[in-house]
Amino acid sequence: MSEARPTLEELKRRKALSRQRVERSGEVMTVSMGPQHPSMHGVYRAELDLDGEVIVAVRPEIGNLHRGVEKLCEERTYHQIIPITDRLDYLASFVMNHGYCEAVEKLMGVEVPPRGRYIRTLAAELCRIANHIMWLGIHIMDLGTQTFFCICFRDREYILDLLEMLTGARLTHSFGRIGGVAKDLPDGFDRRCRKVIDFLPRRVAEYERIVKHNRIYYKRAKGVGIFTSEDCFAWRVTGPPLRSAGVARDLRRDEPYAAYDEMDFEVAVEYNADVYDRFLVRMKEIRESCKIVRQCLDNLPDGPFVASDAVHALPLKKNVLRDSAAMIQDFYQVFQGPLAPKGEVYRAIEAPKGEMGVYIRSEGGAHPARIHFATPSFYHGQAVPPLVEGEMISDMVAIFASVDVVLGDCDR
Amino acid sequence: MSDPIAQLIFLIIKAILVPVLIVMMVAFIIFFERKFAGFFQGRVGPTYLGPWGSFQSFGDIFKLLSKEDLIPAKSDKPVFRLAPYIIFLPAFLVMAVLPFGPVGGEANLFGYRFDYVIANFDAGLVLFLALGAIAVYGVVLAGWSSNGNFSLLGGLRAGAQMISYELAMGFSVVGVMLMANSMSLVDIVEGQAGNFWDWYFIPQVVGGLIFFVATLAELNRTPFDLAEAEQELVAGYLTEYSGMRWGIFMFAEYVNLVVISGIVSTLYFGGWRAPLEVLDFIPGPIWLFIKICVFVFIYMWVRWTIFRYRYNQLMSMGWKVLLPLSILNLVVTAIVVSVAG
Amino acid sequence: MRGGVVNGAARLEEQFGARLLDRVEFRGELTYRVASDDWMEVLRFCRDDPELAFDQLDCLLGDHLPERTEAPFDVVAHLVSHTHGHRLRVKTALKEGQNLPTITGLWPSAGFDERETWEMYGIVFAGHPDLRRLLTIEDFEGYPLRKEFPIQGTVGGRIRTDLRGKI
Repeated sequence: MSEARPTLEELKRRKALSRQRVERSGEVMTVSMGPQHPSMHGVYRAELDLDGEVIVAVRPEIGNLHRGVEKLCEERTYHQIIPITDRLDYLASFVMNHGYCEAVEKLMGVEVPPRGRYIRTLAAELCRIANHIMWLGIHIMDLGTQTFFCICFRDREYILDLLEMLTGARLTHSFGRIGGVAKDLPDGFDRRCRKVIDFLPRRVAEYERIVKHNRIYYKRAKGVGIFTSEDCFAWRVTGPPLRSAGVARDLRRDEPYAAYDEMDFEVAVEYNADVYDRFLVRMKEIRESCKIVRQCLDNLPDGPFVASDAVHALPLKKNVLRDSAAMIQDFYQVFQGPLAPKGEVYRAIEAPKGEMGVYIRSEGGAHPARIHFATPSFYHGQAVPPLVEGEMISDMVAIFASVDVVLGDCDR
Repeated sequence: MSDPIAQLIFLIIKAILVPVLIVMMVAFIIFFERKFAGFFQGRVGPTYLGPWGSFQSFGDIFKLLSKEDLIPAKSDKPVFRLAPYIIFLPAFLVMAVLPFGPVGGEANLFGYRFDYVIANFDAGLVLFLALGAIAVYGVVLAGWSSNGNFSLLGGLRAGAQMISYELAMGFSVVGVMLMANSMSLVDIVEGQAGNFWDWYFIPQVVGGLIFFVATLAELNRTPFDLAEAEQELVAGYLTEYSGMRWGIFMFAEYVNLVVISGIVSTLYFGGWRAPLEVLDFIPGPIWLFIKICVFVFIYMWVRWTIFRYRYNQLMSMGWKVLLPLSILNLVVTAIVVSVAG
Repeated sequence: MRGGVVNGAARLEEQFGARLLDRVEFRGELTYRVASDDWMEVLRFCRDDPELAFDQLDCLLGDHLPERTEAPFDVVAHLVSHTHGHRLRVKTALKEGQNLPTITGLWPSAGFDERETWEMYGIVFAGHPDLRRLLTIEDFEGYPLRKEFPIQGTVGGRIRTDLRGKI
């Protein structure tokens, strides 16, 4: 299956070929997929106009999970916003914390100590692995078999156990703090993490072998849902779908944060821009994430895991009741919170689903004047009509799964 | 007691006993499907009710009976009510012609001859094919009468799929008919006398595989379960059915499964015959039961392992691959049978 | 490669000169403020000029500054270039009730962004193909992210028992 890399023109031609069925006449049947639907990844509603099996038009409707996050943040201090960010993409909570903390640290000029940066990288990559394994299970379940879903969830349990050991929670971690992370690595974490990271690539290789060479998967995923790099730029589709279109853009490499500039890893890029390639990209990302986690464990520097910045960061809990300076700092941070300088920042990080950007505008007080989360699923949900119109309804399920939309991310 | 009265008594006993046994078997097979699903997926299946969870089906039946009987307001109510039974009854009727032991020969029970088949019908195989075709009506009418977009789409898809694969199914069994020189299921089993290497699955290996795949489509099981594809159409033609009506559909599907496993083992694997002649002392019905269990397990194994085909790929496989192959099988078999005698 | 436009900034200033009303550099990021009449032209130049080449609109959002009484609303666009790897922020100030032309013609991803900005602030984007409520319910009253809209209460939304069976 090694072919020459297709050019943009070639991809556009293939896309036109696979979708030329749009211009058919005849009456359309309107079908509403969602919001409650076993495959719609949350409460996403798509109203489809079908001509036989072909989708003529799609009208997406989101907002069923809107919680007014941006408004809620305006009355909270910068520390209190961290649990809110957990609930954005709840499948990779720490990464959302991380993105927010990076933006706040940029605004306030706080520097994270090396150990804190390494622990952040470690936790973020574990979240990425968990997210991609779950994505694989859901994607294959959408294509028809539940067995694979159960197997993937079993493997995700290992990662979730690790995250529980590290952060205290399986799903909504709230582990990031301004200036670092909440806790240090517990005893025994290193050994257990190494054990998991050792067998996980073999498991992933097994899944890849089962799925990649499966005749049915190949027929259902190859050449389906082509979204060229031009389309991705126009529709702000980032992350694995963009990398499957041949664009080697990964914010961990291009705008490094945490400890990524000290890590040795490859950016997963494929060139055919279809569902099959998005699968390959994510599998490669799991392997690279395992590599990064191992490097983090091997090279973990000593020192504090959170900045000892009295103005902006929380003190260590163990000092609060013993040391008066820490007590004052704790009081200050909890009741007033850190004060940010007047100004605005925008910081984007590479979340497992795409690029998540955080925009914060501050008027100098303890609460942000405006905060905005530019989450990947919002734009991927918007990109469903150009991705899917002209394809068949069975393909819609596969394509929608391949762009990985989670409604917490989408609706905020 | 004269012979006709004895035969009548035997007929009544068989006609009552066989359906009852099949129904009991289906109840346990539904449970086993969930247990096997659990084992394939790395979890235990139902464990709550009864030893090892085996009374789960009975619990399910009680639950379904207690549910509200919802019929959509704008549906065609008589057809809506009738549709499950149109799928259910043909499967049962096929049991009437399936032999589960030796037929004919001398008196073997209290001095009277007991035929191990309910109806020794000369065209049993054709009856099977015809009844399979009637089941399509049930599916399409279920989808159409529910008066919903999803259901209609699902019903039409299922109907088209079943009809397409019935052709391949029919052609592949003609090979068996030629080898046994008869359309009667009893004669087909007679023709496989001997050891397991005399069974028809060896010369008819291509036909057997085609038949297996085609029956997966008839049963609407994965990889051909688009009609019930949960992820795509909620539940296709079953969407509007709830409570015991849905229970009847599920029941019909599993009765079909048992019956088709019986047909597969009868046509290709010797039916009630033992694999080795020395094991003949074990009665026929037990062998048939064992073979049905094996094939049910294989159908379940396939279901929980393989992905689903996309609809156009499924239809193109049925028409462009299976149908020509089954015709080829038929031609080759005809040539060999006429030449070798 | 993060943050500000390096050479392209000169290009932008050379093209537009005094029409760039304000320039701020903070934490390595570059922000320009333009008048709402120049919005479309400046953004189109950013996208089409080969030295700038901002091919992706990262996000577009609205903002409300009630203390700035003559033009309380802001629309902020974040642009990023994949070819050069630089970022830019462009802002414009709007009066109450003033329209802004839509940029869905330049970057289709602005569709949902502009809908959300309209829904949250009441800023109308002229020429938008489908300007209606996105995240809140269809007949929600009020513009939630405006500063005077309360965080708690029953203004605008409540449990909609009247919509039962319709959605």
